Amino acid sequence: MTEANVTAAKSEAGAVPENWKPHIVALVCNWCSYAGADMAGTTRREYPANVRMMRFPCTGRMSPLMILRAFEQGADGVLVSGCHPGDCHYVQGNLVARRRFTIFRSLMDFIGVDLKRLHFAWVSAAEGHKWAKVVSEVTTSVQEAGPLPSFEHPEGWGGIDLPEMTGSGPQELDEQRLDAIRANLRKAASEVLTTERAGVVIGYGSGSLPDQTHPVLITKTAECEKLEWGQGCRNNLGAYVGSALEKHERVAVVAKTCDLGAISGLIREGQLRRDQLLVIGVQCPGVRDGSGLATKCLSCSGDPHPICDLVVTVEGVQESCEDPSAAALDTPDARDEQIAYLESLPHEERWQYWQRQFGRCLRCYACRAACPLCYCSTCITDKHRPQWVPTSIDHPGNSTWNIIRAVHLAGRCTGCDECARVCPADIRLDLINRKLSLEVERQYGKIGLDPEEKSALVDFRMEDSEEFIL
Amino acid sequence: MESSWKLTDTQLRKWLSGLLDGNSVVAPVEEDGVLLFRPIASEDQAVVKPSGKTRWSPKEFLFPRSEALYRYNFKGGTVQLEDPPVPEEHQVLFGVRSCDASGLVRLDEIFLSGTKDRLYAARRENTTVVSAACAAADVECFCTAVGYSPVGEEGSDVQLVPLGEDWMLRVLTDKGRDLVSDAGDGWTAATAKDGKRIAELEKSVAGQIERSPVNREWSQVLEEGFEHGAWDRLAQHCLGCSVCAYVCPSCSCFDMNHEANAWCGEQCRSWDACTFPLFTHHASGHNPRETKQERYRQRVLHKFAFREEDEDPFRCVGCGRCVSLCPAGLDIVNTVSAAVEAIREEGADAAR
Repeated sequence: MTEANVTAAKSEAGAVPENWKPHIVALVCNWCSYAGADMAGTTRREYPANVRMMRFPCTGRMSPLMILRAFEQGADGVLVSGCHPGDCHYVQGNLVARRRFTIFRSLMDFIGVDLKRLHFAWVSAAEGHKWAKVVSEVTTSVQEAGPLPSFEHPEGWGGIDLPEMTGSGPQELDEQRLDAIRANLRKAASEVLTTERAGVVIGYGSGSLPDQTHPVLITKTAECEKLEWGQGCRNNLGAYVGSALEKHERVAVVAKTCDLGAISGLIREGQLRRDQLLVIGVQCPGVRDGSGLATKCLSCSGDPHPICDLVVTVEGVQESCEDPSAAALDTPDARDEQIAYLESLPHEERWQYWQRQFGRCLRCYACRAACPLCYCSTCITDKHRPQWVPTSIDHPGNSTWNIIRAVHLAGRCTGCDECARVCPADIRLDLINRKLSLEVERQYGKIGLDPEEKSALVDFRMEDSEEFIL
Repeated sequence: MESSWKLTDTQLRKWLSGLLDGNSVVAPVEEDGVLLFRPIASEDQAVVKPSGKTRWSPKEFLFPRSEALYRYNFKGGTVQLEDPPVPEEHQVLFGVRSCDASGLVRLDEIFLSGTKDRLYAARRENTTVVSAACAAADVECFCTAVGYSPVGEEGSDVQLVPLGEDWMLRVLTDKGRDLVSDAGDGWTAATAKDGKRIAELEKSVAGQIERSPVNREWSQVLEEGFEHGAWDRLAQHCLGCSVCAYVCPSCSCFDMNHEANAWCGEQCRSWDACTFPLFTHHASGHNPRETKQERYRQRVLHKFAFREEDEDPFRCVGCGRCVSLCPAGLDIVNTVSAAVEAIREEGADAAR
């Protein structure tokens, strides 16, 4: 966009001008920190004047979008401040916010924002002295970090080579065994329709390009012969369950192991009831991505998971009746080494790495469309009053979109990688999602497959860690 | 054949290097494993091969993803309006495939017929297209099935034809001539035998494309069967993103968006797509294309129907990108033939 007043301080050559002073936006809660700042004023405390305050009812109201908006508009640093845990005027707003900020902060670090720019503090109405101290500390810290790096294509940047991902992948299935699975799947689907256990079977039909399939919605037993199975069955069909339920009371869906987490998430989040759904888990040979196995398959066994109702293997079709609460997703992930490598780089380099990718983003929203858990009837990026995510297809808006998409899936995403698969610009959304999953797991425990479990970011514990909060 | 030469790869690179002087040269570049059109700083960045496409078309260099139409500033209690400068630098789009070059001509038909779009026209005026004919088809390619050619000249000012290791450079327009005017020293004139290679390439690439042609009379069938029930079935797995439209060389839809803060702002034109529900959503809440099926039908018909004259080309140039990149595996050509078959068999009015 046109030059905002706040960015005017930056010189074109990239050097920090002499006498440069940072612009810092403070998002403060009305009840504690705003009153604390007032107290600092009335008690004549002196502190740097670099902070512009915005008053919110509660830290619980502060979306990461507001922090992103500040950076997008040229702020060099952001301070978020609210009531101490236990003091929230809405009882738990700051406790939920604490988890959100913990996860958001780790993502900002991952995409290359120097954490010297992003601060969180608990300041009560009585702590005028603390407010003055926090503002001084934050100002010094942002001053050290310097002007915010530009949202732009890193011209001439050579790029980095991430470590190769390795893994054995699922058991190999030759054509004969795949044929057997296919026959069993067709039999199972046809039985489901004949016995009226479901009005529609969502599966894969053969596509027009080699090794390509497309989702099919089958309602007649004769059409079950169209059902395909093999390494081209990429889609997470969970994305079609919602629309299929508009026409049918009960829906059967063909699922790979990696699809189940999202399906379970839809139940957990009240988007559908377990009894509306019949899950047909099929033994999976892994899916192909380009010339090799997809990353998500490298550490997967391919065996159908216990939360399925029907399990289709080479041997036949069985009813499954295991306890879903014991089910958990596989932990090792081929991406973890790449994430660790990225985290070992200086944040400037990470910024360039992600800016180059975000710059390619076309805002086609295929990531959103393919994700079973992106089910909002109106996405935040389509809301224009107020417009939180800039619609212009360039770096600032693209960065905000890609960050907020991931944040909205933090603690919910179960790594089916559909977003990364469908991205025409090859943005490594899978790395971002995995990074957030790791952080959620480290802080709040594993994301399981149990539909009864609560998502980590809508929950809180009084004793949640907060070592980064001033 | 005085306007065609045979160049070695080295001579071609040297010419490309010369073009960098005084022009902004946009060529296929590999970035994080993705082949894309980008402005290049030196000739060795360009990836120019006998076949293979960039991930999406070079249309963004004539019709940017987003561009400001006007800007404003609040200063001293008044509003200051500002027109963004009209682009003046001359650009060369280098190594554009024939399908993409035709796609640019389809864009011209939108932006330059009737009221000329000021910014588009300025960019077009300052752009020279150096196309590269194809020596092989990618799996998704189907240009010959929709009336285009792997060696097509439409939209090209200069055409490069792969001759094994070498290239034949053909000047097709005056704009193209300007690009080679002082570079031709030491180049060998192309022979009649080289010239024959074009027809050979066309035949061999067409042979690799297995799709049956889209019949030009189908346009009318599709329009007559607008309300046919087949559309509902054919597009029920469309996910409603806009990959197809954004990677398409000829899709030209846009939206107006406004980016502003307390001090300044700008009115922008940004890419938009008929596959999005918001595209036709009225302020009243009514949406004339309420379902994804209706929206997908719009896209298909805008490529293969809604033509003013029978001889008008299809707006689909057959690059096949929408087929290979569709998250849900939708295939525009199969959709067209399936719709036509259903409409003919069941009658144009067969209910949904």
